[in-house]
Amino acid sequence: MKSIAERKVLLQVNNIKQHFTVKNDALFKPKTVVKAVDGISFELYEGETLSIVGESGCGKSTTGRAILRLDEPSAGEIYFGGENLLTVKKKDMRKLRGDLQVIFQDPFASLNPRQKVKQILNEAMATQKSVVKEKRPERMKELLEYVGLPLESLERYPHEFSGGQRQRIGIARALAVHPKLIICDEAVSALDVSIQAQILNLLKQLQRQFNLTFLFISHDLSVVRHVSDRVMVMYLGKIVEIADKKSLFDKPMHPYTHALLSSIPVPDPTIKHERIILKGDVPSPINPPKGCRFHTRCPFATDLCQETEPELRELEKGHFVSCHMVEKI
Amino acid sequence: MAMFIFRRLFQTIPVIIGVTFVVFFIMQLVPGDPAVILAGEGASKETIEALREQLGLNQPLIIQYFDYITSLLKGDFGTSLKSSQPVLDEILVRLPITMELAFVSILITIFLGMAAGIIAAIKPYSLQDIGVMLIALLGISLPSFWLGLMLMYFFSVKLQILPVAGWDSPLHIILPAITLGVGGAAIVARMTRSSMLEVIGQDYIRTARAKGIKETIIIFKHALRNALIPVITVVGLQFGALLGGTVLVESIFAINGLGRMIVDAIRMRDLPMVQGGVLVASLIFVIVNLLVDIFYRLFNKRIDLN
Amino acid sequence: MAEKEIPILEVKGLKTYFTTKKGTSKPVDGIDFVLNKGETLGIVGESGCGKSMTSLSILRLIPSPSGKIAGGSILFKGKDLVKLPESEMRKVRGNDISMIFQEPMTSLNPVIPVGEQIAEAIRLHQNLGKKAAWEKSVEMLRLVGIPSPEKRAKQEPFQLSGGMRQRVMIAMALACSPEILIADEPTTALDVTIQAQILEIIKNLQKQLGMGVIMITHDLGVVAETCDQVVVMYAGNIVEHTSSKELFANPKHPYTQGLLASLPNITEDVEELRTIEGTIPSPYNLPKGCRFSSRCPHSKDICSERNPELFEVSDDTKVRCWIYSDNWNNQSKREEECLNEKHS
Repeated sequence: MKSIAERKVLLQVNNIKQHFTVKNDALFKPKTVVKAVDGISFELYEGETLSIVGESGCGKSTTGRAILRLDEPSAGEIYFGGENLLTVKKKDMRKLRGDLQVIFQDPFASLNPRQKVKQILNEAMATQKSVVKEKRPERMKELLEYVGLPLESLERYPHEFSGGQRQRIGIARALAVHPKLIICDEAVSALDVSIQAQILNLLKQLQRQFNLTFLFISHDLSVVRHVSDRVMVMYLGKIVEIADKKSLFDKPMHPYTHALLSSIPVPDPTIKHERIILKGDVPSPINPPKGCRFHTRCPFATDLCQETEPELRELEKGHFVSCHMVEKI
Repeated sequence: MAMFIFRRLFQTIPVIIGVTFVVFFIMQLVPGDPAVILAGEGASKETIEALREQLGLNQPLIIQYFDYITSLLKGDFGTSLKSSQPVLDEILVRLPITMELAFVSILITIFLGMAAGIIAAIKPYSLQDIGVMLIALLGISLPSFWLGLMLMYFFSVKLQILPVAGWDSPLHIILPAITLGVGGAAIVARMTRSSMLEVIGQDYIRTARAKGIKETIIIFKHALRNALIPVITVVGLQFGALLGGTVLVESIFAINGLGRMIVDAIRMRDLPMVQGGVLVASLIFVIVNLLVDIFYRLFNKRIDLN
Repeated sequence: MAEKEIPILEVKGLKTYFTTKKGTSKPVDGIDFVLNKGETLGIVGESGCGKSMTSLSILRLIPSPSGKIAGGSILFKGKDLVKLPESEMRKVRGNDISMIFQEPMTSLNPVIPVGEQIAEAIRLHQNLGKKAAWEKSVEMLRLVGIPSPEKRAKQEPFQLSGGMRQRVMIAMALACSPEILIADEPTTALDVTIQAQILEIIKNLQKQLGMGVIMITHDLGVVAETCDQVVVMYAGNIVEHTSSKELFANPKHPYTQGLLASLPNITEDVEELRTIEGTIPSPYNLPKGCRFSSRCPHSKDICSERNPELFEVSDDTKVRCWIYSDNWNNQSKREEECLNEKHS
């Protein structure tokens, strides 16, 4: 891997916030605000895989949706190829959407059941106008070859495929328009391990082949370890730690990352690792705790943590942590 | 909850205003001049004109509407053109009769419908299911005037166990209530069945079975409560259909209720009577819907959160 | 072990078949295993292998009338559950054998307070009065680590988080101190930190109550952490039956080997994961021979002709694969001869 200085930034996220207002029953009560993502910044380098991990409600999927502008973020800037995605005109956004593709968790729900694979791929190419009509049949063949599906698949409907094959169709659709960045939102979570391995291998191979950049959103840390170059850990709408994969898995600094890593059951009964079992549940993002959001479950929390929100600090080269206590643990 | 009821009440105000508006203007579109009818055949032009003046019929429509609304607020529904009695008095005489009929009918709709639906859902696709659902289909398809006449023929004329028509004893209520309630019962039965089937397939029913709970308790304690939530809405809607049905059924069984009053008033072009009758019927429907909403809320607390 | 105890559960040749318009499917097709007191048995496999149907069959909760136990026996302390009348079976469910399910979100009744859902089972099986049962149910909620259980017991499931609901499920399952707990993917729908909490609770309570646990999961990590012995299922068959230690140190069946190899590793990096090519056979149309043969890298003629039996490889390991039969090597020789003949 190239060093950070040499790499080109493909996507720059500056302090985005995603606040959802929830309708209230009462007449005069103030509206409830869910702070799903609350001011996060990071960059994505060309050709790398950055993973976002965290538990449900941490804001990882919301971040992905914000970048795609599936939900309009409440604040912040997202630069992609020099343009702020949040202020570009509709017409330009459509063009940019071709560069930004997404693969969802449930391939079945994201494929129109009444369309043949042929129509699904054709539609993707037609909306982005990236491939002229005459060349589309050829491009379809090419795509199927890339994702390892037989040519006959073109004439079949999504329900005729297994889960893994459907995910391949989803990948082919994303690839159809020559994207630069693919956001994989829990893309392998619904698959059985043996199938999951096939898809993960495919993604890696395609990344090399087309110099793709992946934003890989997942709750499964073993998968993340396998696919990522860098990993970002989120908790309650905030980044708690972001680092190179190796650095993060070998030397996690944030207590939450520690707990998360130690919670994973390891498929080897001879390893008896020490487990940090966190108490309680993740607090509600409607009223996130003051100060460090993790302090309610953190074994090292002090008065400072309850009062002041920690900043994301670079403690080692490329290794950022947001914790007051790191040095003292 | 109190907040919800308050807000819900608040929301009914525009609905009621809308109802008065519609009731008033639709009657203006009906052909036939009430003054002509009232004056009788062969009346002179002057007499008709004088009647118009007296009834305010020559004022612009919008003024007539405002007059109408202001008197409504004072509790004055106008005077019947035919009997010269206050409309409200006439309605208050007949309303209890119609309410009684509607109440018994809706009970038939609810209990007959739910029982049939549950029986069908316990053993889906079995003979008992197919049988019950066939009867329900029949119930929906039968026009109530035909059903009313058939019931009359069998029970009153042939068997002579129930009175033919009128409204004198509790026995008189049986046939019209059945006529009126059966269609709704069939709809409720179908709704209950499909809702029960959906609930019985849920994970929590499996959990209940895994606890070793008896099937009857599972049906009535675990399944029915959840299955009833959509059924409540249907019952509320059925009540509206039922009020409409009273018009027909009261005519068939010669019951002197609100429905028949409206029909007679229309025939006579008794404008204030029609307006008053329709308005009261609409108000009842709005109130019933309000009650259904509140009931639904109590039943399904989860809505509170969303 | 000096003297072998009578096992609390013995499943012999269990078959569960479904008849639908599409034909007959055989999600459970001849399963044998034994569960001893205080022991945890894992049943692993990928979706459609029949692991959940096996667990539902033990409690006779398979969806009827399409599903049916078509053969075999399930001996609970010597008593065959398959032959038990329904009313007797109800006394076993939730009392002797309890079950927790994968989806805590949908497995609790949304309109009944959670305390009542627990108390209900207690009243049913333990002849306790209303008040005593309620107190016991609050006690159970405390036992599974729910804070302020008196308050929580009165709440309905939607007011509880996913982790809490799974705790309620556990409290409910253990309320009558069952001898066997069947946990069907108990942590699959939960976040890892919550999963760790839940597995810990199950382990601790198992120690306290001395019950046998059947852990059904697709997660080999969970198996390694919790199970003593493991059954690996594939397309309705047990393909490997061994101790947990042996399974991870020395997997025997080609399917088990493939499964372990395809796991992304949390501790080391590999460029490419090993995969198992192909997909599982349809349960409506199972191959005549070994059900894994079409995906197996070692497959030979005999594999597609006859389904192998479970060969006993060592004391505690049985494998359903021709490789472990006596004449596998002969078979190889014969094939070579055939090839030679063709060539000459």
